[in-house]
Amino acid sequence: MTDAKTMAYINMYAVLGTLENLCELDEKAKEILSVLEKPVALAFDVKDGPAATLTFSKNGCRMEDGAKQCDIKIPVSSCEKFNKIINGEATPIPTKGIQKINFLLKTFTALTDRLTEIMRPSEEALKDRDFFILSTRLTFYTIAVAMAQIGNQDPIGKQSASYMLDGDILFGIKDADTATLRVKDHHLVAIKQAPEKPRAIMTFSDYDLASDLFNGRVNALEELGRGTVEIHGMASMIDNMNRLLDRVALYLA
Amino acid sequence: MGKYPIYEHKKGREYFDRALKVIPAGIYGHLGPSEGLWIPINNWPFFSEKAQGTYFWDVDGNKYIDYMCAYGPNVLGYNDPDVDAAAKKQLELGNCTTAPGKVMVECAENLVNTVASADWAFFCKNGSDTTTLAVMSARAHTHKRKIIFLKGYYHGDFQWAQKVDYPGILPEDVCHNLLAPWFDIDALQKLYDENDGDIAGLIAQPYDHGNFYDNQTASTEYWQAVRKWCDEHGVVLIFDDVRTGFRLDIEGTDHYYGIKADLICFCKALANGYNMSALCGGEHMKATVSGMTYTGSYWMSAVPFAASIACINKMKALDTPTLFRKLGTKLTEGLKQAATNNGFDLVVSGEPALFYLRIANDDSLMLHQEWVAECVSRGVFFASHHNHFINAALTEDDIKTTIDIAEDAFNAVRKNHPEMK
Repeated sequence: MTDAKTMAYINMYAVLGTLENLCELDEKAKEILSVLEKPVALAFDVKDGPAATLTFSKNGCRMEDGAKQCDIKIPVSSCEKFNKIINGEATPIPTKGIQKINFLLKTFTALTDRLTEIMRPSEEALKDRDFFILSTRLTFYTIAVAMAQIGNQDPIGKQSASYMLDGDILFGIKDADTATLRVKDHHLVAIKQAPEKPRAIMTFSDYDLASDLFNGRVNALEELGRGTVEIHGMASMIDNMNRLLDRVALYLA
Repeated sequence: MGKYPIYEHKKGREYFDRALKVIPAGIYGHLGPSEGLWIPINNWPFFSEKAQGTYFWDVDGNKYIDYMCAYGPNVLGYNDPDVDAAAKKQLELGNCTTAPGKVMVECAENLVNTVASADWAFFCKNGSDTTTLAVMSARAHTHKRKIIFLKGYYHGDFQWAQKVDYPGILPEDVCHNLLAPWFDIDALQKLYDENDGDIAGLIAQPYDHGNFYDNQTASTEYWQAVRKWCDEHGVVLIFDDVRTGFRLDIEGTDHYYGIKADLICFCKALANGYNMSALCGGEHMKATVSGMTYTGSYWMSAVPFAASIACINKMKALDTPTLFRKLGTKLTEGLKQAATNNGFDLVVSGEPALFYLRIANDDSLMLHQEWVAECVSRGVFFASHHNHFINAALTEDDIKTTIDIAEDAFNAVRKNHPEMK
């Protein structure tokens, strides 16, 4: 069973947050952004839920917490409503920046459509190796951030976080993308770069294995035996992170 | 190149690859790579070919001094001649039969005569069978629902003993589990009050021997206070002596701490590897347990009963708790010295018979995992996350060799870390 508030946090920070990576890694996204003459800050403010601002420019996209300084503001009445907006079942209505509605309708929609195309790819599209790698990389960052949201919000995920020791977990694809899951007093933060001094490490051998794991085609424990998943350090942290990873599928399947 | 050659595991890997095709995870559970934390995996032996005394040999012919003892069942030494002779003799008479073998009575009498708090014995196969029966019996006895666990607990893998975030576990499976910190009687009272006294039992290992952290032994005063609190509140006190049983005190670890548990669970050291477990308890719990619906196809097999009688009698004759304390102390003192010689801070905790090791130079256990892997590669089987076990076949010469190998392994780790001074 999923929890609407947790889903809203995942939709905000893990799904919309992956626009940062999309705009950095995808040529088509860069092309969409190239028409922007000056930066546009778009804020979502969800009642009793997350609030964040995405700032888009020709150079890319970055997400920051809070919805104070923005050009367009979209207040959302509830977590459930926000989840419907992300699923395309409800229309976002801005209360600030109506004059920039064009950005919302064209640029932002084009970016989220592109994100959906990559994150929910067709079998045919995945035959293109570059597209497959891009899809796997974006999924990786989405999952890393989603784990933190689940650990902080989901009632069962909070139990997993309650057993985690303070410190940084390196979560990564070998010789490729890495992220940090930072634990402090059982609160989790995902950072999209490797930690300086990890207390625990979990790495996947390559993109193919990462994709298989993310899509539930293989199990991490079995892959430990094959040597394609490696762990080091405080294994209890990884054990609990794995339980969060299991629950990502529940929310993002 | 170190003093000891590094083992290779070509055949072991071949068997493991075959296993991965037909067995989930290849080797599942605590004997396998994930729960056993084989880091890195290729330093571990995968499968054994044979075992004798305190040693086992892997399928590549590499010999190990074994400090995990099959995670506890090996208490006298693999293939102990007295236990095996008793088992073989019973096998010739019968094993799994419609009418249980009379040796079942003799085995129960032997346990009652051995374990201070036991007036009866109920036999099963695994530790989980007994902890589950104990929890069910506590509920049946008190007609209450909640069970208090102590932090870092492990009472087997049945649903009720797992945690809510584990795969396949429902919140309903664990909704009557309450968690209290160790060594805090006030916390027990708080839980009791918060739950309107709906507490059936308190289940605990004799001391905090959890994984990934230094083990913390208990005191007689602590357990006497818990006993008193349970008596005052009508809470059934369950000792999970599955891991520690017979290693600290032949009469049970509740006896070691100067109390009598209401129910006490035994398994690992009960029959030197023959598969059986037992729940024992006081006379006041016997009627309740008699009424339980609880049985299994192999629970009254006769061979393990014969093995158990021989095993317990031999442990008594050898005074294994005293022997294990002596051997464990000598070994861990030697390991600490070997660590110091190489600039490592090796922390030894828990009881010497079940010593826990941790290199404290970093807080990630990475150096510790590296050192354990180097030891395993040279023929000393340690685990990086779990307490260890001593068995009665271990000799002073084995300890000397172990310390020498450990020193070689420390030396190798030190060379891999020039940043260490």
